[in-house]
Order: sequence, then structure tokens, then C-alpha cells
Amino acid sequence: MPEYNIIGKSVQRIDGPRKVSGEAQYAADLDIPGALCLKVLRSKVAHALLQGIDTREALKVPGVVGIFTHVDIPGINSYGIIVKDQPALTNRVRFKGDAIALVAAEDEASANKALRLIKVSLQDLSPIYDIREAMREDAPAIHETGNILSVYKVKKGDVESAFKQADVVIPGSYTTQRVEHCYIETEAGVAYMDNDMLVIKAGTQNPHYDRRDVARVLGLAMNKLRIIQTTTGGGFGGKLDISVQCFLGLAALKLGRPVKIAYDRQESFVATGKRHPFFIDYITAANREGKLLAVKVRIVGDTGAYASYGPATLLRAAVHATGPYEVPNVDIEAFCVYTNNPFSGAMRGFGTPQMAFACESQLDLVAQAVNISPLEIRRRNIFQKGSLTATQQKLDVSVGIGKTLEAAWEKALQVMPGLGDENK
Amino acid sequence: MAQFHLEMKVNGKPIALDIDPGLRLLDVLRDILHLTGTKEGCGEGECGACSVILDDELVDSCLILAPQAHGRGVITIEGLALNGELDPYQQAFLEVGAVQCGYCTPGMILAARVLLNHNPKPSKQDIAKAISGNLCRCTGYAKIVQGIEIAASLKETKAGVSRA
Amino acid sequence: MKKRGYGIANMWYGIGNTANPNPSGAFVDFLDDGTAIVLTGCADIGQGSSTVLAQIAAETLGICVEDVVIVSADTEVTPDAGASSASRQTYVSGNAVRLAAENVRNQVIAIAAELLNIPTETVSLSQGEIWNSDKSSGMSIKEIINKCRSKGILTLGHGSYNPVTTELDPETGQGIPYATYAFATQVSEIEVDTETGIVEVKQIVAAHDVGTAINPQNVEGQIEGGCAMGIGYALLEEVILKDGEIQNPGMSTYLIPTALDVPEIHTIIIEESEISGPYGAKGVGEPALVPTAAAIANAVADALGIRMYELPLTPEKIIAAIKNRKEVEAI
Repeated sequence: MPEYNIIGKSVQRIDGPRKVSGEAQYAADLDIPGALCLKVLRSKVAHALLQGIDTREALKVPGVVGIFTHVDIPGINSYGIIVKDQPALTNRVRFKGDAIALVAAEDEASANKALRLIKVSLQDLSPIYDIREAMREDAPAIHETGNILSVYKVKKGDVESAFKQADVVIPGSYTTQRVEHCYIETEAGVAYMDNDMLVIKAGTQNPHYDRRDVARVLGLAMNKLRIIQTTTGGGFGGKLDISVQCFLGLAALKLGRPVKIAYDRQESFVATGKRHPFFIDYITAANREGKLLAVKVRIVGDTGAYASYGPATLLRAAVHATGPYEVPNVDIEAFCVYTNNPFSGAMRGFGTPQMAFACESQLDLVAQAVNISPLEIRRRNIFQKGSLTATQQKLDVSVGIGKTLEAAWEKALQVMPGLGDENK
Repeated sequence: MAQFHLEMKVNGKPIALDIDPGLRLLDVLRDILHLTGTKEGCGEGECGACSVILDDELVDSCLILAPQAHGRGVITIEGLALNGELDPYQQAFLEVGAVQCGYCTPGMILAARVLLNHNPKPSKQDIAKAISGNLCRCTGYAKIVQGIEIAASLKETKAGVSRA
Repeated sequence: MKKRGYGIANMWYGIGNTANPNPSGAFVDFLDDGTAIVLTGCADIGQGSSTVLAQIAAETLGICVEDVVIVSADTEVTPDAGASSASRQTYVSGNAVRLAAENVRNQVIAIAAELLNIPTETVSLSQGEIWNSDKSSGMSIKEIINKCRSKGILTLGHGSYNPVTTELDPETGQGIPYATYAFATQVSEIEVDTETGIVEVKQIVAAHDVGTAINPQNVEGQIEGGCAMGIGYALLEEVILKDGEIQNPGMSTYLIPTALDVPEIHTIIIEESEISGPYGAKGVGEPALVPTAAAIANAVADALGIRMYELPLTPEKIIAAIKNRKEVEAI
């Protein structure tokens, strides 16, 4: 009997045939006769208190069936996978793009017309776009809990004495940018009542989380809410948050009619999470053989107006900050900070691509300083079986970094003829 | 608004409709004809998810007003399979793993078809150029290019067989 | 002038949520005709999780993958399988499906052993048949399932899995944040045009330790896609804000890599089996992207002899850095 029949075989994707034939139905492809079109009124200012909202003119537009604001939320008006700080429809604006009102209309043109006729009066608050300004003690608080949302620490050994004993101590300050997931399918969905069950179909990375937070916002029992993931055109972390789900549920529940929403590309950019911009101060200490002795790392991540996956991103960044290397002394602190920028959340790697940029740049600088090759410094410091990580976890099994390093180098020597000079 | 009387062939089938002349070809295909294999990704002709074949050319159906298709032939992804049998492009994409989320796939396959109609033996570079107006965020394009190479060789074999 | 450079970067990535429970559940119904239905909350967003879960179920039940139907991500019928994030679904939901399928398999094995009058330890299921040690017994799985039915046994299985982690100390972070880690090394070759500042990535070698590769083609696809996204991160992509407002909210102004921007990617799969993973698997989704920008940045530094500290490495920044160095050298 062969060891495995199916594991390790490149069987064809089970969803492949429907995708190549065009039959696969993504959320925007669902057609429910009579479904109302939903549109969201979004803030054009970054920080303000909502003083009043007048929907009377907008409601007179023929075809408009309903307009909802924060007062119409039947449950608790806040959601979030880690911190419940984001309102479905807000009465306090925290970024340019925050959702203020939801229009349901027979057709898109009427919905758009109504959006233009809603009158919002706002009391401006001073916005904070700069993360260092947001961290100052006297900075106005964007959320009641203050602007520093979380601080994570990873500490081991004695970094300061290691710095004194080290042959080289190299500081570097790194910044990384805000990035959009840019899945080719934008957010979309439909909702309808099936007897007393609210059904929401949408592209999502986490239907069971969606159920928890939509039930909370709508004040529904979890077993009266059914979330069905439609074929999803990419996520990369951007479809982990609630996007269209609460809007769909609210309108279908209140109006008792099927509803549909689809973000265009601009709304997808404006309304959904981004990769965190990081500000990283990284000091690396090593001896003259290039053996790492200590790292001291300070990380600040701009999570924007809402937490989303920010705390998880900064925690993961802190835990992974050393890279896959043995470092006996570490002092790492990571701060997740609110600003009035668009919110940042999960994106492929959760803070580790940012840290890899800093950590791997540092490693090359150390190699240069002690006059060994980039390959050699990595060989001398990578995790082995039995290594201890920065959090003192012992790596006992499946530690493949030695193999990936040697295999990648061997292949690179074959396919990159100019590389030979590197290994001197 | 005055309606426009649109006549065109879609996937070989004659269609006659009275439509709002401001509709895009994409809207007619998706919303009226329910051919939802054609996707909208950006609405500004950048991503190619809405690609269809208009006569012999690959076009972004989000940039074409429906009246511009009057009297012409449109092929969408739904027009490729014959009696439920996938065509060589679709087969090749499946075989090499060129499909992940699948949202760009219909446009990619149609781009491949137009390329191979004009250039039956494309190089890797020709293929990359031909699909550079079709964005994919999942695959890194390698397997898509490979799929098109295989489709080209399958087509050639088939052509050889039918000539013989 | 065009200058070539080479850069190397390593990465590690903990599979699953950090120091936090993130369980997955699964149900398996093994049907009278020897086909099976798997219920899982796991959302396939294009990464291929449904295919991988079908492979795990089929392998465990000893049937072919075509005989498995995956019903996924519908809260009314499927159990919670957490998020499709943290590169966790192959490892965590894969384990849940494996356990649910083993649960059913054990029921079938018990009846088969009784019928064949052999110890259960020697019975296994493979290729649709009941095996006695390394020989087929000639009896089909289907026959045994029907036997189960005649005895009033429904062959239903459930399984759930939560990665073994601990809390982290709030002051020192000490603890076990993840049950297992994926590792990778990428080497990139780039060319910088010192006149225009444009960086062209010529090749990437990407070696990834994913544990057992349940579906090697899918793993390659993840790595190739991750490298492409990493090229965008390193060189092209930035959401530009002015007073908190996005200045480039569209695909004509926010550029992602096209087929012309992505070079040949040489993928190498290293399978360092993980004992707690389903058939030894770990994960690959995010690791694919993690070291790419770092390797490109190191290659640019190698080519120019100038270290850049800010992503993305746009032509403007590169030109400015070259100019800045010339000015420093002139002093």
C-alpha cells in the first residue's frame, strides 16, 4: 500500500471548473428580483461630532424606501474582532470615510440622489494624522481609552550590558507605508429574510466572526442570523473585518425586503482596512564573528481610526522582531496607536513583512561591519533544533530555516551567474 | 430618456434589446443578459476583469457604451465551453493551477484567446504583454502564463490533427 | 547606468493566532455509497483551502478526492472554523477535518475488523477498499458502510482542533505564542537604472518550509503570488494620504504589479514535517510574501552601495539617495 494516495498530489482545485467557465457566483453576481440597492453616506471630514442629520429631503426622492442612521441600530452599535470600537453607523466621525447613513432605494440612481440630499451637521474636532502627535500625553483622545491602544513587550536577558560588550552596535530607523489589499473583487453582498431568519450572503474571510458582530449590532440571537460566504475574489486580510454585512442586515431586517450592496473600487479603498504603516527603531549588537548578542526594537504602528486587527498585528510584529535568529538578549516594545487616518487592519503577514524589512536590513549592515557575507551572517545566527526564541519558546521540531537557506542559496548560485561574487 | 435599440450577437446568439443608451456594455451583459462571468473590478479600464471579445479585439466592457456594440459580435466567458465541455484554454488553466480566487480568470482566458488568434506561437514575453492589462492579485501570473503556453500547444496539436 | 544587485532575506512565521485560542471544527458524514460530505466553516477565499481539506478527508477515509464534497462557510450548517487568516486553515482546520474523518474511519474499521475477524490495528482504509495490513481484503468500504447501516450505525464524525499555545507574560512576553512555525529564505536579483531610479526585479528564488505540502501546485501558487505582492510592497504600492484623505483610491493611481512586473520565480518546497500538523503540514499563505520586500531592499543596497530605510523604494527616492551620496562625496 502506498504511503499516501492523495496527500502530496497536485489534484485540481475543486472550485476550478466553475471558475474557468464563469459559472461561479461572487456576491455581486447574485440576482434577487426586487432587491433594493444600498448606498452609504460617508464622512468627508476626519474628526467630528455628529450634531444632527436631516433626511427629510432625501426621503422624498422617488424610489427611496428607507434611510438609516445611528439611532436606527437595534442592538449595540459597535463591532471589532479584538476591540469593539467601530460603529456600524456613527455619531462621531473618526476618519474620512466613516459611515454616517445608509440609503435603501429601488435603484442606484435614486439612492445616489438621496445621498446628496442628506444634510449632516457636524461639530469639528481637531484631527490627528501624525502618529507621534497622537502619542503625546496632551493629545485629544480619539477613543475614550486614549490613543495608545496597546503596548506589547518581549524582554529577555540584559540588552544594555550586551551593548557594552558588543564589538558592533548598529542602529537603524525604518518606515513602511500604508498599503491596500487590492483584491480584484470589491466588497459586496445581498440579504433577505427567510421567514424569521436573516440571511446575509457576502464575500468574507470569516463568516462565524461576522455572525457574532452582526448579531450584536442588530440585537439578534445568533441562531436567527445566517451568514453564507459567497465565492470570494481574494481577501489577503482585507475581508476579515465587517464591511457590508451590518448594512445588509440592518436594511433587510428593518424593511423586510431583499437588499443588495456592492462597493465600487473607490469605496473599497476609502472604507476598508489597510496594511499598517510602521515606524521601527532597531538596534542590533553583535560580536566580531557576527554572532548576534542583542536587539532593542521599538515599533509604532498607525492603526488609524479603529483597532481592527491592529493589536494582533503589533503583537505579532513584536514576537517576530528578531527574525528567525537566536538572540540572547532582547528588548522589544510595540505600540498600536489610533489616529484619524483610515483604519489599518490585517494584511498578509500581520506586521511581519515590515519587521523583515528592518531586521534583514540590519543583518546586512552587521555583516558589512564585521566583514562577512550576508549569507554567512545568516548561517551563523539562524534557529537550529533546540533554539530558544525571544519569548523563550524552545523549537523542537520542524525547524526548516537551515534547509531553506542552503537550498535557496544553491539554487540562486545556479540561476544567478552574477551572484558568485557575493559569496567571497 | 430615449431608448436605444441594440442589436448584437452575444456568444453567437442574436440579441435585440431596447436599452438606456448610457449603459455600459458591462451593464447590459451582467444586469440584463445575466452573463455574470464578466466581472467588474475597477470601473476604469485598469484591471481587465470585465474583458470581453468585441469582434476580434479584447476590450474592457466597462469602458464601452452598449450602443458601441451595435451590429457587432461579443464573446464572453460563457461562450467558450461547447455543450458543457471546457475549451482548451479553460482546461489548461485548470491543469496548471492558474486559478486561485478566480475573479480575473474569465478576463485572462479571453485575453489568451485573442492573443493566440493573432499569434499562435507566443513567447513568454508576448504572453506577459498580452495579459498586462489584466490584473491578478493571487497568482503572481506564473501559472497563468504557463496555462496560456499549454493552451497554445494544445491548439496547435488540434490544428495539426484537423489538417491531417 | 544599470547596476545589478543581489539580496537575501529569511523569515519565520507562527501559524495561527498569537497566544490566543483559535479552534476549528468539522463534521464528516460518510455515506452509503462510499462518498463523503465534509462540513467546515473554513472560507476558501481563493487560497485553495477547500481542495486541501478535501484531500485530507479523502486520504483519511481511503476514498478518492472526487468522492468528497466540501460544504463550507455557511453559519447555519457548518461549524466554526475561525478565520481564513494567520496562515492557519491548512494546519488548524486541516487537523479538525482529519480528526472528524478519523472519528468516522474508526467506526468503519471496527465493523470491518469484526466482520473479517481480525484485530482493528491491522485494518486500514485505502483506495475505496478495506486493507488487512498491506493487502486488500477484497471488501469495499461501501460494503462496510452498508453493514454499519444494517446494524443501525450512522457513520458520522466530528472533530475540533485548537493549536497548543500559552498566554504571554504581559511584562516580558515569555511563553508559547504559536504551536508551530513556517520558515523561508528568498534571494532576489535586481537591476537599478541609476538615471531613472527604476528597479527591475530579474529573478527571485523562494525556498519555503511549509511542512508537508498537501498540494504542491497550490503551495507554488501561494509562493508565486506572495512574491508578486511583495514586489508591489517593495517598489510600487503606497496609499497616499493628505490630511487623512486617500489621494489615490483607484487602480489607475494605485498601481499593483502586472504580468510585466513579475519575473521568473524559482520556488523550492522544503517539507520539514510538523508532528502536530495534519499529515505533517504547516502553512504557506502569508510566509510567501513576508521576506520578499526585505530581499529586494537588500539587493538594491547591494547594487547601489546605499542603504534605503523607507518603503516603497520608488524611483524618486532612489534618485534622491544617489544624488545625496554624490553631494556627500563632493564635500
